[in-house]
Formats: sequence, structure tokens, C-alpha cells
Amino acid sequence: MSVCAGVPLPKPCVLKRMEDSSKEDYKIHSFDMETQKLLKTALKDPGSVDLEKVSSVIVDQSLKDQMFSKEAGRICFTIVQAESKQNGGSVFRRNLLNRLQQEFKAREETRKRSTQEWVCLVSFICNIFDYLKVNNMPMMALVHPVYDCLFRLAQPDALKNEEEVDCLVLQLHRIGEQLEKMNLQRMDELFCLLRDGFLLQDGLSSLGRLLLLEILEFRAGSWTLSETAQKYYYSEVTD
Amino acid sequence: DIFIESLLNFDSEYIWNKGSSRWSQCRKRGADGVVRGSQKEAELTNNTDRKGNRPHRPNSFTTPESEGPVSRIRDWGDEVEFDEMRTNVRRDMQRYRRRILAGEFTQRERKTSSDSKDSRDSPAPGEFETDESVLMRRQKQINYGKNTLAYDRYIKEVPKHLRQPGVHPRTPNKFKKYSRRSWDQQIKLWKVKLHAWDPPTEEGNDLQAIDLGEIMELDFDMEASVDELQYPKTSSSVSSSLPQVSCLNVKILESVDLWICILL
Repeated sequence: MSVCAGVPLPKPCVLKRMEDSSKEDYKIHSFDMETQKLLKTALKDPGSVDLEKVSSVIVDQSLKDQMFSKEAGRICFTIVQAESKQNGGSVFRRNLLNRLQQEFKAREETRKRSTQEWVCLVSFICNIFDYLKVNNMPMMALVHPVYDCLFRLAQPDALKNEEEVDCLVLQLHRIGEQLEKMNLQRMDELFCLLRDGFLLQDGLSSLGRLLLLEILEFRAGSWTLSETAQKYYYSEVTD
Repeated sequence: DIFIESLLNFDSEYIWNKGSSRWSQCRKRGADGVVRGSQKEAELTNNTDRKGNRPHRPNSFTTPESEGPVSRIRDWGDEVEFDEMRTNVRRDMQRYRRRILAGEFTQRERKTSSDSKDSRDSPAPGEFETDESVLMRRQKQINYGKNTLAYDRYIKEVPKHLRQPGVHPRTPNKFKKYSRRSWDQQIKLWKVKLHAWDPPTEEGNDLQAIDLGEIMELDFDMEASVDELQYPKTSSSVSSSLPQVSCLNVKILESVDLWICILL
């Protein structure tokens, strides 16, 4: 967050995050060596590994590691493709999704226990929604769960935490447009909450308000920022 | 809503079949990665399949949040598999439609219509199965047949251009109009034929190589030529039990041998 002289305008880091993804990098360096080896084998020869274990390892790490939770979708998709190509199976995908479903069901407890874990969970689910396409279409089964997560983040108690607001706007930047196509009504409802939050919510930090304003403009501009808005939010203001 | 109804049928049948494998040595791993199979389980699965039995608990319930009947059994894994199959079926249908319009099938029909045994291959022109619930059910049955080691070995051994009609098993065409009974029998026959490519069994336990229930269900009125039984031989080759056959090389239980001899 950069604060420039005289102007307490924090710079949102969203743009920076979106430039992070490189081509073949699955971002597995946070795993121990043995697990990295397991994952690499899963990518090349899925039939030879215990795919349930692989999916479990990935989910566990996603809940702990913020960076990984935002990027794990790619490695998951590659393993799904590899398994399908190798033997037509979908063991990995099935295990991954069902484990994810369990975590989703327990999300409220997770949120109470640790905001970080909760935020990681949301990032991970959304990342999976983004990457794990089925016949080039997003998975229908995840649409409502993703919305449920975002709605939770838009609740008053969550809007007070910068961490949660930050997570919320990140997801909307990444998958908002796709989500809206799958269910317009819920997106409209979500944004009503965001407008209300922006206008009425006490205890919102200025960063929180900035993030909300940006996302409101983003959607209003059909999921893109005008040039002037881009300058406003993302440029360093220099004296 | 017929579609929802079939969704529920799909569910219960799917659940019955999900963890089980009819012929453990021939079937790939089940969805959970475990190779399963016992004759008992196979029979149970078969019976359920045929009669369309469902668990007694209601299969679905509707909640205010859901957009329709929500299956009690559905987990995300199942839902995504279902969606994937549905989009595949829809895509297949578009492809099929295009091929019909391109006149591809009319050509082939003219060629085979003279072949008396292929009576099933001549639908009324322009009509094909479009009911999604039917297509989904048929696709599921086809998937079961294709998800076998036998099928894998078959397609590796016999490339498409070398396949001879009548000799080599041909996947039933899910878009053709057939009665339920006719379709189910075609599937059974197809699967029985595929057994010729079962991997060689190691022990002498051929009990699992073939499901007696399936043979006994065959409708013996169906036409078949002797040609159909000339399968490539593997160490555990099994031929179809169509009765017109005069020479059978069946390496299964003695009692089955005896039974087939009696039929002849």
C-alpha cells in the first residue's frame, strides 16, 4: 500500500496480482520436496499415483497458503486433463470436488476459527471455478456455492475486515463476468449489498471503501475500468 | 417433468453402479480408485439395473433455495460428471444432426439394408432419438461398456477401418429409435461380444469373466449368423451364447458349458 504525500490514497494491489501468473509455473514451491515430486508425477503420469492423496494435499495447502490458493486451479486443471487423456478417468476431479464441498459446508466454522483460512478457501473455490472448465463451460455445480461465499463476504461483519473485502473484490475481478453470465440475478443482488455497504456501513476503512468503489465502477463499466478510472485507482499520485 | 424424473432414475442407478464393478478383472477401477467386484455385487447391480429399483428413501427433496428437486445423494463430483455427460450428449446430438443433413447416413443405410441381419439399422428417415433423458441413460450404459479393459484392448487391437460388421462388436447408436427393450438387449449383446477381448485371467477363476445373468437374459429370437462368433482368440475367449452356433469354444464353468450344449 503506497501512501503519497498529502494524499492518503492507498493503491490497491489488484492489478499487480493479476500479472502474477506465468505460463508453466504451478507455484508449488511452498510444498516440501517429496510432495513436489508427487505433484510433478501426477502431472505427467496420473495413473501411477494416489489421486485421492494428491487432491487432499492440494486442498490442504490451499487453505494454508494464500498465494497457492489463488493459483492452484491451474495445476488442478492440468491433472484433470492428464488423467482424462491417460485413462478416461476422473478420479482426481471427483475427489477434489467432494473434498472442496466438505470444506464449503464447514465454511462458517472455518471463518470463525481463522479469517485467513476462510479467505483462502474462497480464493481456492473461485480459482477452481475459473480453471476447471468442463467442455469449455464453467461447472454449474459451483455457481451457487461461489455466490454463497461472495454473499458472505458482503455481509456487514465481513466488510469491516480489509482482508475479506480484498478477497471479495479480487474474486469479482477474476470471475465476476463469468459468474454474471451464469446467474445474473444473484450478481444484481450481490451488488445491491455492495452499494449498501459502501454507503451505509460503519466501521469500513478507507481502503475498504476504495476497494468497494472500484468494484462498483468496474461492474458498471461491464467488467472493465475506463481509462480515467484506471488512472485514478492504480496510478501513483506524485507531487 | 420427465427430465427430472429421469434425473432421479439416473441418480439411483448411478449410485448402485458407482462403487461396484461387475467383472473385477475386466473392469477398470471404480470411480473411487478401488478395483472392486464380487459376483454377488455384480448380480445385485444387474438386477437393479434391469428392474430399475430404487432405494426406498425419496430420492429428492425441494428446498426453498434450490431451483427444483434436489437429489439427496448428489455431491459435487456427481453433479459435475452429470453435467459433463449432458453437454457431451448435446454436442453429440448436434454432430449427428449435421451428419444426417449432410446425407452421410442415407448412403450407408442403402448399403446395409440388403443385409438381412441388420434389421435394426434402418430407422425411418429423418427421425432420431432426441429425448435427452433417454440419450443420457443410453450414454451411461455405453460408458459402462467402454470403461472396461476389454474395450480398451479391443480398440487398440482393431482400428476402426479394419472392423468388419458382424464380426467386430459395434457400439449401439444411441440416436436411433429403438424400444427400451431392444436397446437394452443390444447393449447386452455388445458387452458380451466385448468379452472376447478380456485380459487373460491368471487364476482359474473364470466366474468373474462372465455374468451368467446376462447370458440368460438374451433373447434367443434375435438373428445371428455364425460369422458373428469368429472372434480373435485370446486365452480366455468367450463367445456369444447365441444358440444357432454349432461350434463354441467356451472356457468357463463346466455348468455353463453343459447348459449351452443342452441348448444346442
